Amino acid sequence: MLESLQYIYAPQMVNGLSIGVAVVLMALGLTIIFGLLDVINMSHGEFYAAGAFISVSLMAIGVSFWLCLILVPLILVPIGFGMERLLIQKVFHYKDRHILTLLLTFGVAMILEDGYKIIWGANPIKPSAPISGASELLGVMFPNYRLFLMGFGVLIIFSVWALIYKTQLGAIVRASAYDKDMSSSLGIPVMRVYALTFAFGVALAGLAGVLLAPIYSVFPTMGRDFILMAFSVVIVGGLGSIKGAVIAGILLTQLQSISSLFISPVWSDPLVFTVMVLVLMFKPTGLYGGMKNA
Amino acid sequence: MHNPQVKAIRLIEILLLVSAIVLFLVGSILGDTFFLRLATESLIFGGLAMSVDLLLGIVGLLSLGQALYFGFGAYLSALILKEVSPSFFLAIGIVTLSSIVLGWAASFVALRSKGVYFALITFGLAQVAAKVVYNTRSLGASDGMMGVPILQIWTPIGSVDAGQPGVFFVITLLTIGALYGVLKYFLTTPMGSIWHAIRSNEDRLAYIGYKSKGPKQVAFILAAVVAAVSGALYPMLRGFVSPELMFFSVSGNAVVTVVLGGVGTLIGPILGSVLLTSFKSIIGTWTVHHHIVIGLIFVAVVISAPKGIAGLLATYFRKTHSRKGEE
Amino acid sequence: MENMEIILKAKSLSRHFGGLAAVDDVSFEVTRLGVTSIIGPNGAGKSTLFNLLSGTFMADSGLVELECKNITRMSPEERLSCGMARSFQITNLFFDLSVINNLRIASQALEPSSHLFLPLSKSAIAIDRANELLEEFELLECCDQLAGALSHGQQRRLEIAVTLATRPKLLLLDEPTQGMSQADTQDTAELIKYLGSKITVLLIEHDVDLVMDLSKTVIVMAQGKKLAEGIPGEVRANPLVQTAYFGEELA
Repeated sequence: MLESLQYIYAPQMVNGLSIGVAVVLMALGLTIIFGLLDVINMSHGEFYAAGAFISVSLMAIGVSFWLCLILVPLILVPIGFGMERLLIQKVFHYKDRHILTLLLTFGVAMILEDGYKIIWGANPIKPSAPISGASELLGVMFPNYRLFLMGFGVLIIFSVWALIYKTQLGAIVRASAYDKDMSSSLGIPVMRVYALTFAFGVALAGLAGVLLAPIYSVFPTMGRDFILMAFSVVIVGGLGSIKGAVIAGILLTQLQSISSLFISPVWSDPLVFTVMVLVLMFKPTGLYGGMKNA
Repeated sequence: MHNPQVKAIRLIEILLLVSAIVLFLVGSILGDTFFLRLATESLIFGGLAMSVDLLLGIVGLLSLGQALYFGFGAYLSALILKEVSPSFFLAIGIVTLSSIVLGWAASFVALRSKGVYFALITFGLAQVAAKVVYNTRSLGASDGMMGVPILQIWTPIGSVDAGQPGVFFVITLLTIGALYGVLKYFLTTPMGSIWHAIRSNEDRLAYIGYKSKGPKQVAFILAAVVAAVSGALYPMLRGFVSPELMFFSVSGNAVVTVVLGGVGTLIGPILGSVLLTSFKSIIGTWTVHHHIVIGLIFVAVVISAPKGIAGLLATYFRKTHSRKGEE
Repeated sequence: MENMEIILKAKSLSRHFGGLAAVDDVSFEVTRLGVTSIIGPNGAGKSTLFNLLSGTFMADSGLVELECKNITRMSPEERLSCGMARSFQITNLFFDLSVINNLRIASQALEPSSHLFLPLSKSAIAIDRANELLEEFELLECCDQLAGALSHGQQRRLEIAVTLATRPKLLLLDEPTQGMSQADTQDTAELIKYLGSKITVLLIEHDVDLVMDLSKTVIVMAQGKKLAEGIPGEVRANPLVQTAYFGEELA
């Protein structure tokens, strides 16, 4: 019994954790965008893909993986900023704005996905992991890259949390989300804050893309495939809750990896989706939800 | 006093009907196959778009998974025609009845939520269903099912051969037209008004005496039926069905055509579908990347003309009406 | 002329939000016809009380009885069918629909549910009622305009008309003169007085003078509790009430 725990479950759980942190990064961006901006970003998955594709191209011209971890999010920031400023804010004043932003970001997703196909082709690209080899932990071999993923991911998640709750900048962002007019009258450039928040959220998704590329490989529909998982995490955790995104992200990815021991991987998405639906049915605001409440 | 939106709708109805008649006559005389089949396909997807519009434009619920019912109707229709009997009315009848049950069952999951959550649940339901179908051997898995026989359809004027493009075009036109008629009828009933009220201010509804759940369920089931019956026509036209019919791009395209044509008008989505299908086939001869162009058009429409073509027409009518009033 | 029969009874109603008791053990009775008003300084719990009475929130404890029927756990639409209707402080109309459609939909509950699926013309009762209300509330000239396009005064009138559509026995009016001009307030006061002669009106208001003028009974709330209940003169002279109001002014 202990042996199966050590040799079967533990590796699955660790693998699941390494993916879990990347999923959490993506869900973090999504939940921040919804929680603070009240925008449903259907193109979030495409920014995840963008991160992956851009890192692949950068590495192809010799940029190191480590540099990509910094460069790619930085590249995505102005893109996200531009999208929020030029597109999303245009429909913000309509009464139907929730649906309009949903449709708008959905349209952008369509454009981006096809764009990836045009630029990089439809075939999957698998970049090699920057860290090779494996280490032994408790008698089991784990790929070093996955161990790195976990550590790095935790670091980023913690930094995001600290940024939002422990810094002046974070306070400004939260104030703008909470009361736009009041913040504006205090001299805060609310529109710019919104755009920056959006940019930050999609940059996190891009970072997740860079991190997961060596594991999942890179192909044009990767964003769309992943977005249901991202939204499931955000919903189960509670729209707008960072804590919720972290806990739900870990839980759902663990569910996925452990269940893959028993059922065909084809059914893991439906399983996650079922959990999401159940949560929505019985606790619609998610585990830690409540609008704009992180 | 004429409502500009009503005028816009009327104009689009006439436009589509006239073009349909012209297409049928000219196409039949010239022995055309391509354009008639294209038009038939655009009408079939127009039916799906109508089901999206019923939920989005009338009740106020964005469903990102209507392809689920469309695909259901298509597969069920193919199965009946292949395994039971190549009868048009049998297929349509069974699809109608079973989609009522399916819609009713799905409503218990989907209608627990609204707004964004509803969109995500419907999205998820369709994704899951598509994955299940894609992996089900007995339904042909990723290849789908082929070999749907060509139908001989009984009509009051004798049996007609659905293999003839012109004939099936008319059959489809009548079927989609009938669905349109049913939906328009509902809009003339108090139930239709309640749907509009839900879209306008759902919270107030209870205070004037109605729970919103019942009317929403009616609309949801109706939308499922409309999507499924439209889907049932697909194998009759193409001779096969595949899991692609349930993929998100089908639901997504439907939403695009609704916004393009004019949300809430029911006929707008059909116009949108006609335009989009023609557009795809034209662009498709130059490049396979029509999604990007459609996406760009869609984003442009959402930003600058969120009420679509019908909305633009209505604005035009409002302006000319007020100009006339000043004379 | 005054009817002493009790139409609405509230017994020990309580409702908490977090740790705060928004409504704390409130009991009162409303007799038929006339205007009964609930007043109190800001934060007194009047709106929460209204929400408990109308079914917007459920009470944590206590009882609400309408004509001796226990409605404490009923939903708003169930309360409507028992004869209780409420209006809203912030105009809560179907803004995208026309005035006549607002009134017609509000009157639809007068028809049997089978009529929901029949053409509109078969709902003659609802249509007639809507037209009746159009005239009564002087909304004829804007009957085809969207409710969202009306002036504030017109919207407030429509709000009350919508609430009256099903001919309720008990009308809950939530700050009906909110944001109104002097002239409009006067007209509304006349309207409320007139309504009070036909049905029972329960009113929340901030305008104390208006309330004293119109009401047969005044209930004063402060900090979630009922402070006083009685005829206007009595309540006005009540030292506790004066402290509650003056105390607020001095602070």
